[in-house]
Amino acid sequence: MSVLWEGLLQGLKAVWTVARVVIPLMIALEIAQANGLLQRLNRILARPFQKIGLSEEGAFPVVVAMVFGLTFGSGVIINHVREGKVTEREVKIMGSFIAIAHALIEDTIIFLTLGAPLLVLLVPRLAAAYGVAYLLHKFGTRLPLPQGDSFHSLD
Amino acid sequence: MLEVKGKMIAKGARVGMETTWELAKILVPTAMVVTVFKASGLLDVITDFFAPYMGLFGLSGQAAIVLFSGYLVNLYAAAGSIVALSLPLREIAILAGMLTFCHSLLVELPISKKAGGSLRYIFLIRLGGSLIIGMVLGWMLP
Repeated sequence: MSVLWEGLLQGLKAVWTVARVVIPLMIALEIAQANGLLQRLNRILARPFQKIGLSEEGAFPVVVAMVFGLTFGSGVIINHVREGKVTEREVKIMGSFIAIAHALIEDTIIFLTLGAPLLVLLVPRLAAAYGVAYLLHKFGTRLPLPQGDSFHSLD
Repeated sequence: MLEVKGKMIAKGARVGMETTWELAKILVPTAMVVTVFKASGLLDVITDFFAPYMGLFGLSGQAAIVLFSGYLVNLYAAAGSIVALSLPLREIAILAGMLTFCHSLLVELPISKKAGGSLRYIFLIRLGGSLIIGMVLGWMLP
């Protein structure tokens, strides 16, 4: 019983950590969007992402995930889905990309401090994420992909 | 220059809270699963089972504990095991390459599913990528 209790506390701690970042992040996003900043930023970021089938709106959650981590990127995706900003196809591409390449700063620093070389930490991961996203973009409609949750569980 | 209105802050805060709630529904149960998993001793059983196969990646048998702490718990658990074992730099590099691909699965797979991924494909890609990079690094690194 005490183990479950500890788990619950750990979970609530994680929720608090997320809330502390996600709520200010969403406020900042809202202000940036209302002032047209996001659109400008997206246009710069979007170029390398066009090749893997992501629109300006779709590139943004990927960048958030790469900098802040999977949970925060997923938060932005969930919000984008709710507001109808991205297509189902894009969600699949974004979801797969960030599943492989996320929290690039935090994850990389953990192993750099232990002496692992930077090349090993970043290059294979980014290459694989981009490759998988590219394959999904090119052949995604022809693959019998099982559904994720996003479009059904959020109603 | 930057225009800030109360309405924007209110909307951002509401969206932030809704998103936090969506994530909380995953984070709390997964945290409980991880805690039970750690307390159950299952990690030791898995580690003992896979230790003989670590040679595939040019690793010593004891590195299995690092790999599975990372795969199933998180990278901090893996880093803790690396420090505790004082592994050679070559093994640290191999493990780091493998673990950046695939880690914290008990927590991250449900989150990925929520964000539009398919559980099975993402699991296979991450684990497959990890095993391949491990074999490549084990073969390449002197």
